[in-house]
Amino acid sequence: MTAGMAQSQGWVTRYFKAFCKGFFVAVPVAVTFLDRVACVARVEGASMQPSLNPGGSQSSDVVLLNHWKVRNFEVQRGDIVSLVSPKNPEQKIIKRVIALEGDIVKTIGHKNRYVKVPRGHIWVEGDHHGHSFDSNSFGPVSLGLLHAHATHILWPPERWQKLESVLPPERLPVQSEKESLHGSP
Amino acid sequence: MFFPGSLATTLKIECIVEQTYGPWWQSLHRTMLRGILGKTFRLVGYTIQYACIAHCAFEYVGGVVMCSGPSMEPTIQNSDIVCAENLSRHFYGIQRGDIVIAKSPSDPKSNICKRVIGLEGDKILTSRPSDFFKSHNYVPTGHVWLEGDNLQNSTDSRYYGPVPYGLIRGRIFFKVSQVILKSSKANQTRPR
Repeated sequence: MTAGMAQSQGWVTRYFKAFCKGFFVAVPVAVTFLDRVACVARVEGASMQPSLNPGGSQSSDVVLLNHWKVRNFEVQRGDIVSLVSPKNPEQKIIKRVIALEGDIVKTIGHKNRYVKVPRGHIWVEGDHHGHSFDSNSFGPVSLGLLHAHATHILWPPERWQKLESVLPPERLPVQSEKESLHGSP
Repeated sequence: MFFPGSLATTLKIECIVEQTYGPWWQSLHRTMLRGILGKTFRLVGYTIQYACIAHCAFEYVGGVVMCSGPSMEPTIQNSDIVCAENLSRHFYGIQRGDIVIAKSPSDPKSNICKRVIGLEGDKILTSRPSDFFKSHNYVPTGHVWLEGDNLQNSTDSRYYGPVPYGLIRGRIFFKVSQVILKSSKANQTRPR
């Protein structure tokens, strides 16, 4: 083995070691960040029109999903949240929180006219009533399925905005047990 | 009133020391500060790195869990230590008869440990043994039916209904305490 070859082999080993070290540091940190802090997602479908995807299939909105805000499963009425679909665990759906546990909601198209949301559950609905697969179809969802809180629209640039937690007045719960916090960060 | 006084005294002492020892004191100060800052940053970096590796391991591979409660006796006793793996959940390989750990439907911050009795589409007997008329129900799509082994003392799907698949965290495949119990019994001498 000549001196040249030994030198190049040393360079390869050093590069390999540096790559492994970087890989085992960067990948877990990135994965943990995307799972626990924030990630981005493209919205498909028309169930949240006109707040999200007003252009239909021509231009899908890209939203910022904030996991850190829901780490203690705290949501307010009017928040737009993403959750694991109760009917299909491979899919995530994005809807607005209408009622929290203890509230009584007046449903649209559900088999019962009035539903009391059980403990540890929330009632979610899409803004586009009638074109939305939401709690009016599958009932209250468990808070354990909560995935993230959608806070901003990031793309397209002309729709860059902060998503407000506003509840349409006609969808206010008939009776609420918990008081919402107003002006929470 | 204590702090301003002591701060003024410290600054006064430092000025005197600087005047006496001059540049030697300043360079020592700077290296000490840099050393401490460097060590702190390195410690914080290592903590973040190991926390992220731990999160990835518990989330995607599995971990060791302690179960509490009598609802899975005699299979799993109170305060038993078990090993759970999360790969089956991600690849949708949970089957009937598996013991799973899931988030509680009524309290998302606590976990429950039950056996899978039925998958989606299965016909489940939902009436209590004391009922005269037996009632059956089908498990809806995307849900599973969980029951504890200790039927008399278990709040499970018979109480809160079918559980969405998305709440399942992992599958238990190994119980640690049983092994310890068996090996300690083998070492004891048997009476004749």
